[in-house]
Amino acid sequence: MAVDFRCVDRSVPTDAWAEPTRPETGTASGASDVSEKAYEVAHLDELDRYPVDDEGLLWRPVRRRLGITAFGTNAYTAENGTERVVEEHSEEGGHEELYYVVSGRARFVLGDDEIDAPAGTFVHAEPGTKRGAVATEPNTTVLAIGAKPGVPHEVSKWEDIFVVFGLYRTGKEAEARRQLEKVLAENPDSWQGYYNAACFEALTGNDDAAVAQLKRAIELDLKALEYAADDSDFDRLRERPDFPS
Amino acid sequence: MSGSAHISELAFKFPNNQSWAMVRTHFDIQSFGVNAYIAGEAGVEVIGEHDELGENAGKHEELYFVSSGHAAFTVDGDEIDAPAGTFVFVPDPSTKRKAIAKEAGTTIVIVGGKPGEAFTPSPWERTSEGLAHFANKDYEKAAETYESFLAETPGNAGFLYNLACAESLLGRKEDALQHLRQSVEADAVFKRNALEDPDFDAIRDDPEFSAITGQTDATRAST
Repeated sequence: MAVDFRCVDRSVPTDAWAEPTRPETGTASGASDVSEKAYEVAHLDELDRYPVDDEGLLWRPVRRRLGITAFGTNAYTAENGTERVVEEHSEEGGHEELYYVVSGRARFVLGDDEIDAPAGTFVHAEPGTKRGAVATEPNTTVLAIGAKPGVPHEVSKWEDIFVVFGLYRTGKEAEARRQLEKVLAENPDSWQGYYNAACFEALTGNDDAAVAQLKRAIELDLKALEYAADDSDFDRLRERPDFPS
Repeated sequence: MSGSAHISELAFKFPNNQSWAMVRTHFDIQSFGVNAYIAGEAGVEVIGEHDELGENAGKHEELYFVSSGHAAFTVDGDEIDAPAGTFVFVPDPSTKRKAIAKEAGTTIVIVGGKPGEAFTPSPWERTSEGLAHFANKDYEKAAETYESFLAETPGNAGFLYNLACAESLLGRKEDALQHLRQSVEADAVFKRNALEDPDFDAIRDDPEFSAITGQTDATRAST
């Protein structure tokens, strides 16, 4: 089942999340897996592994695990060595990003350039520059650090959504639903929350709920209607008379 | 700018058997600090013991990532074994931290930023501009660089110290002693550095050098 990347949309400007209430992972003191110690330690091998797509790309949350609040930090692993290790996107929301190839090798696209990036390579992408990478060796891991210049860092909402769909893709549907409900409770005014809920309901066969959540998203922002028109998650529902169009 | 570089292209050697890669300044990254340090041999203190409260520190929360080799961290008095792939995150700027390489080539990537505030570069980063001149043995340029920094931030202990190093290496004994004295008066921690720093070999035998770094000096207690 092809999950369109829209469902965990990072091309949606992060500032489109209206007045975000900070998730509990947003502060070091509030995160459940962060202790009162003066430091946090984790090895790359111990980080969670959430599938981001059906091709093998794994999201390994670093910021979330350690309670970092001043910048975004995530690792991505491509085990097979042929799949995408950084999804292609432009960070229209204004984040600049620095990628560091920790192991393996990847071919980056940066604007109009292609870059062969063995382990030890840094790739910097300014906001708005198209970037993405495909692994060219097995067990390629890329560390991504990102933040928006000139403003205090705000924890990216897509992390919460990545967890929802990551759990779903690893067969933990009940846990995924609990996480989704938490995201919705924390972001009651955000169209992205309801939009992703609509995707989740469509993927799990709850068609009525999918349409209802999509309608709520559209009521909050018409952008949701545009996204839904191209989102393959909803292909099965398009023939329904009540499907928004 | 958007672009790419391998860590080996960015690293420049330091006298203390260590290389630095000033990643943030290379790419002109504006939203977080990032650098890498590479140990030339086992035993090198890749991260010198420090906290993030000093006049040149960014007061950042900091993420250390051991990208290759093997390091031994000491954070808040605890020892942490850190093989390649280990993340060590230190949120509180007042926490003391250091790391020693257990293997040659041990590389630590450091990322820093201040929670709740827009990023501004740490003052110490500027000092690296001068350090590059030291690495190239261009001590005239190094001295000029620190003089210009001091014109902007007078009395900065670190800049004064590095200026004194350059002047000592250039044989400008009086200038070196004067600036070293000012540095030590601003921050007594530099006494210990000066005692072990080969850059001061040319002025080490001067009685004034002993006076500045004197072990019996009561101000030593302040470190």
